[in-house]
Amino acid sequence: MISQFFILSSKGDPLIYKDFRGDSGGRDVAELFYRKLTGLPGDESPVVMVTTGGRRHHDGRHFIHIRHSSLYLVVTTSENVSPFSLLELLSRLATLLGDYCGSLGEGTISRNVALVYELLDEVLDYGYVQTTSTEMLRNFIQTEAVVSKPFSLFDLSSVGLFGAETQQSKVAPSSAASRPVLSSRSDQSQKNEVFLDVVERLSVLIASNGSLLKVDVQGEIRLKSFLPSGSEMRIGLTEEFCVGKSELRGYGPGIRVDEVSFHSSVNLDEFESHRILRLQPPQGELTVMRYQLSDDLPSPLPFRLFPSVQWDRGSGRTTLEPKPRPVSLNVRLHLPLPRGVVSLSQELSSPEQKAELAEGALRWDLPRVQGGSQLSGLFQMDVPGPPGPPSHGLSTSAPPLGLGPASLSFELPRHTCSGLQVRFLRLAFRPCGNANPHKWVRHLSHSDAYVIRI
Amino acid sequence: MTDSKYFTTTKKGEIFELKAELNSDKKEKKKEAVKKVIASMTVGKDVSALFPDVVNCMQTDNLELKKLVYLYLMNYAKSQPDMAIMAVNTFVKDCEDPNPLIRALAVRTMGCIRVDKITEYLCEPLRKCLKDEDPYVRKTAAVCVAKLHDINAQLVEDQGFLDTLKDLISDSNPMVVANAVAALSEIAESHPSSNLLDLNPQSINKLLTALNECTEWGQIFILDCLANYTPKDDREAQSICERVTPRLSHANSAVVLSAVKVLMKFMEMLSKDLDYYGTLLKKLAPPLVTLLSAEPELQYVALRNINLIVQKRPEILKHEMKVFFVKYNDPIYVKLEKLDIMIRLASQANIAQVLAELKEYATEVDVDFVRKAVRAIGRCAIKVEQSAERCVSTLLDLIQTKVNYVVQEAIVVIKDIFRKYPNKYESVIATLCENLDSLDEPEARAAMIWIVGEYAERIDNADELLESFLEGFHDESTQVQLQLLTGIVKLFLKKPTETQELVQQVLSLATQDSDNPDLRDRGYIYWRLLSTDPVAAKEVVLAEKPLISEETDLIEPTLLDELICYIGTLASVYHKPPSAFVEGGRGVVHKSLPPRTASSESAESPETAPAGAPPGEQPDVIPAQGDLLGDLLNLDLGPPVSGPPLTTSSVQMGAVDLLGGGLDSLIGGTNFVAPPTAAVPASLGAPIGSGLSDLFDLTSGVGTLSGSYVAPKAVWLPAMKAKGLEISGTFTRQVGSISMDLQLTNKALQVMTDFAIQFNRNSFGLAPAAPLQVHAPLSPNQTVEISLPLSTVGSVMKMEPLNNLQVAVKNNIDVFYFSTLYPLHILFVEDGKMDRQMFLATWKDIPNENEAQFQIRDCPLNAEAVSSKLQSSNIFTVAKRNVEGQDMLYQSLKLTNGIWVLAELRIQPGNPSCTLSLKCRAPEVSQHVYQAYETILKN
Repeated sequence: MISQFFILSSKGDPLIYKDFRGDSGGRDVAELFYRKLTGLPGDESPVVMVTTGGRRHHDGRHFIHIRHSSLYLVVTTSENVSPFSLLELLSRLATLLGDYCGSLGEGTISRNVALVYELLDEVLDYGYVQTTSTEMLRNFIQTEAVVSKPFSLFDLSSVGLFGAETQQSKVAPSSAASRPVLSSRSDQSQKNEVFLDVVERLSVLIASNGSLLKVDVQGEIRLKSFLPSGSEMRIGLTEEFCVGKSELRGYGPGIRVDEVSFHSSVNLDEFESHRILRLQPPQGELTVMRYQLSDDLPSPLPFRLFPSVQWDRGSGRTTLEPKPRPVSLNVRLHLPLPRGVVSLSQELSSPEQKAELAEGALRWDLPRVQGGSQLSGLFQMDVPGPPGPPSHGLSTSAPPLGLGPASLSFELPRHTCSGLQVRFLRLAFRPCGNANPHKWVRHLSHSDAYVIRI
Repeated sequence: MTDSKYFTTTKKGEIFELKAELNSDKKEKKKEAVKKVIASMTVGKDVSALFPDVVNCMQTDNLELKKLVYLYLMNYAKSQPDMAIMAVNTFVKDCEDPNPLIRALAVRTMGCIRVDKITEYLCEPLRKCLKDEDPYVRKTAAVCVAKLHDINAQLVEDQGFLDTLKDLISDSNPMVVANAVAALSEIAESHPSSNLLDLNPQSINKLLTALNECTEWGQIFILDCLANYTPKDDREAQSICERVTPRLSHANSAVVLSAVKVLMKFMEMLSKDLDYYGTLLKKLAPPLVTLLSAEPELQYVALRNINLIVQKRPEILKHEMKVFFVKYNDPIYVKLEKLDIMIRLASQANIAQVLAELKEYATEVDVDFVRKAVRAIGRCAIKVEQSAERCVSTLLDLIQTKVNYVVQEAIVVIKDIFRKYPNKYESVIATLCENLDSLDEPEARAAMIWIVGEYAERIDNADELLESFLEGFHDESTQVQLQLLTGIVKLFLKKPTETQELVQQVLSLATQDSDNPDLRDRGYIYWRLLSTDPVAAKEVVLAEKPLISEETDLIEPTLLDELICYIGTLASVYHKPPSAFVEGGRGVVHKSLPPRTASSESAESPETAPAGAPPGEQPDVIPAQGDLLGDLLNLDLGPPVSGPPLTTSSVQMGAVDLLGGGLDSLIGGTNFVAPPTAAVPASLGAPIGSGLSDLFDLTSGVGTLSGSYVAPKAVWLPAMKAKGLEISGTFTRQVGSISMDLQLTNKALQVMTDFAIQFNRNSFGLAPAAPLQVHAPLSPNQTVEISLPLSTVGSVMKMEPLNNLQVAVKNNIDVFYFSTLYPLHILFVEDGKMDRQMFLATWKDIPNENEAQFQIRDCPLNAEAVSSKLQSSNIFTVAKRNVEGQDMLYQSLKLTNGIWVLAELRIQPGNPSCTLSLKCRAPEVSQHVYQAYETILKN
């Protein structure tokens, strides 16, 4: 059971404060939370924190928070509750507030205080979660969202991915996707739009000898619908899509994932036979399907990097040759360097590129790399040997500690590592007198942890 | 117009302006004004002065405005209770509004106004709303009962709301069911005795049905509630598991974890031979793995839980090692947790893979993580014997890197490896010694000194090495000083000729120049030992040390079992029982896993399941052994009290009363939500019988002739549950005095002292008549037998079952609780023979409904033998008749508390069973008297 919920700005100012059970010590708890969070030692988990000592009535208060769009969403409790449900709740609330207020941010929250309170009242009663479904809440919410500026609906060039939290967040948030879902009540002339994204996160670990140690892909299909609720749609997936190790479909190797889970509103009647998901989504955002596969990637890795290191008595050359298969955006290569590197020179495949040295690591940014091209970077560095006599001849030719592993981050538009594609998105909905609904289907892979040991 | 301007700084007349706006005629203006008030409230401004004006806006037909006003009221009603009453009329009216939204809003808000006065007005509307036709109103009202209960528990009970709430569990709307379950669970937690959530197969079935229909959040309430239920047998457990399993693929991780909790708990009841058990194990792995792909916050919480699950049932995730490999961009707290799980999963099969990973980690940049990785390599060596050699060579490679903190950490773990595998890897000592100078952390220095001292005979220059440390003796930390003292004494005992001077020096440094009492005392002990008896000194100082094992970092099994019951909660993140961090009375009910019904395997050997009991012999479980005993926590175990110990308990309890409600309310909790059960440990591997009497069949008893029958000693408290203390015992009655014969065995590695014992109040006032006398400390592997005289003048409280005795035993380590059933015949007094006339009169006087009849089978004794056998246990034959070839024995006995029991025993010659009719004014004892008969006659 939740005692309090509050939203803090990135500077720790309370934007929203709600007490559900009256068992708490009051609103200075928010301040206490912020102090505790900022004073936390590095290796301690900030996920769950408990207050001890200090003033009596704050004792034994547990804080659970997430950080979302530079806001802290925090709940407190004084009982032995499930931290999973609290974390889930917080991320749902973040989505909900986004759905209702347009987007989640300091400005939108403070413009819509009354709406947020009204929402909280319906979502939580006495600290018990009642519902987090946008659809159900629609029946109860009276307050209209206050929005800052009109939407540039026609600026379709800026339509980006609304859900993908990419590493650099370089994908510009789409203004089309960040309007409140529910303002349509007053404004019936709104466009009917559906956004469907297939987003995959790829984590790869490659050993220094080039062998693949671990690869796994976590994917999800996310949907944001502005259609009236309850309008049915059908999503057709690649027909060779197989689940589990043993299933066989199609004639080729198929597209195989280990685990799939669906949103509870998805109707799977046609999934077995035709790989079609049928659903009647509520307005707003939801994750239709989540899947993952590990170890067994059907296609070769999207990005190769051929590192080579030569090291001799305190100076060395490191060569990196990244080679992407598909077109990649926002590529960043990160290579930690040994402590005490004194000189570094670089030689890159094209002169306009530049690798930077920051925080004891090398950073090489490439905004866009053509598929199939090969780049190369040669880095020469000197590390002064440890003081004292050189030790026993063993480690002089080995690279010093602290070099590597190299990690890559990148985005691959229109590419899924698993090979999963959305074949079609069909809407049963026929608007009266209005233009056909717009459908946006996008595919994207991005790196989660792509590490090559050196 | 936007709300943001409401945040502008306070002007002097702001309150005044708002007042005017609130009293405006225009609805829009009013609404905007209330919004401004709420915005000010959020940033902490005091707008309570506007209370009357805001309340005036309440009577409106605009739902939005009404909601805003209600929001304000909730916040300020507490500071303005008198004003809040003004609003009551509107609340009551709104509860009858045709719009269900307004009805629900009113009842919800009223519950949130925590003002005593408002509660009396709340009752009637609440009663109506609980029966409202709209489910939205009903579900809101259900939660409101919990709110009201928190303000005034008595009122809720008096008004009968609890019964209405119970009815809502069968509501047609799953949301209502979920909220009713949540409310009842919360109320039940503050009243462990109330038996509110009366879980039985029927209600469980209803919950399981609702589970499929309600929202994800409702599913969590229901699953958590299910976890408190104890199925009656393994078949029921399996059918519940089957219906819960689909929840494992839910997208909400909280639902998944709650389902995992139910399954982990009920799995305990399933036999490992079942196919279904294996299927279930396989099904548990994928959802746990899936959790690891969530955000780091969820991952961390999941990993803490997986850490527990892996310790309890390593087989679930044994093939999933790879998912715990650390990712480069994991936050450090996730990395450390993964590392820990990797070690727990390490086995011979995957050790090569694990070691390769760990070696990589040891070359990363984060110092903390590198240290943990090096330490993990050492733990691998200790855990997987086959890998020890590779681990040691990996560690040596790492030492060659000469990175200071890596070297130091490696030396600390190599010391542990030496302690696990003595005389195996000493060849590496030379390499270690090379790095002596670079050690600057106390732990590493102490480890190195320990190694030098321990292997002094193999290190040529051990004296020089140790001497070099001695120079800066006073600047070292205590840890190093103590180690140095011991190290040099060891060296002296091994090479007495060359090192006399050195030992003199360290002894005088420790005893004369140090003001640390530990160091000084240890110095003196060594000194005296060496000067009085060097041979003894050698035996003491160079004694063979017990090997260390990897078990040292495991969670203690009883705690682990308790934590498994709390999977998915904060307790599982902290790895502490809730009682350690939840304040007040709520949630402190101790939980424990249900016992495995079919086989008697012990928790230590989960892999080697013995064959279960023969089919068809489905043993029952004795309820409420041992685990209720958490409740005994309140007992004061300070000085052992003789005589009636608990008459003053309420006073003593004051200091240690963790539970607020006191002992009474708790002990009533024998029937709390799900009576956890634990079987009497069947040490002989026999199936657990249907009652205590069956236990007596295990071996033929060696009854004494002079007193009543004595059962063989049974294990009451297994060592596993009591940090190494094993207690077995039995009860005897000899010439009028009852005693409890105990056998205490120390199975720990530590000496036990300061024993004390205490009983909880029980049905017959049994209490220790003397303190528990254990004269000498109990050293490891020692057993002591004690006879503890008992009196029957202690305080009395009826127990369930009647002959249940809850005992607390204390020693220097901890306090342990167990419960046992005593045979009733120890309470049969010597003057239990009734006069014939008296017998007849009494028999007639006791109403017939108090008569109970039992069959005693397989008792081929004749009347004479029966009579004499029973007499030795103080069951006296008053008269004997022969009716139609049957022997009728009329018998009487008296209990210590003066209750008379009259018996008629019919014996047919040639028929091995006889019929026993018992009449007593307290019919509840009959069952136990019958058991006593059985016991006595069959032994």
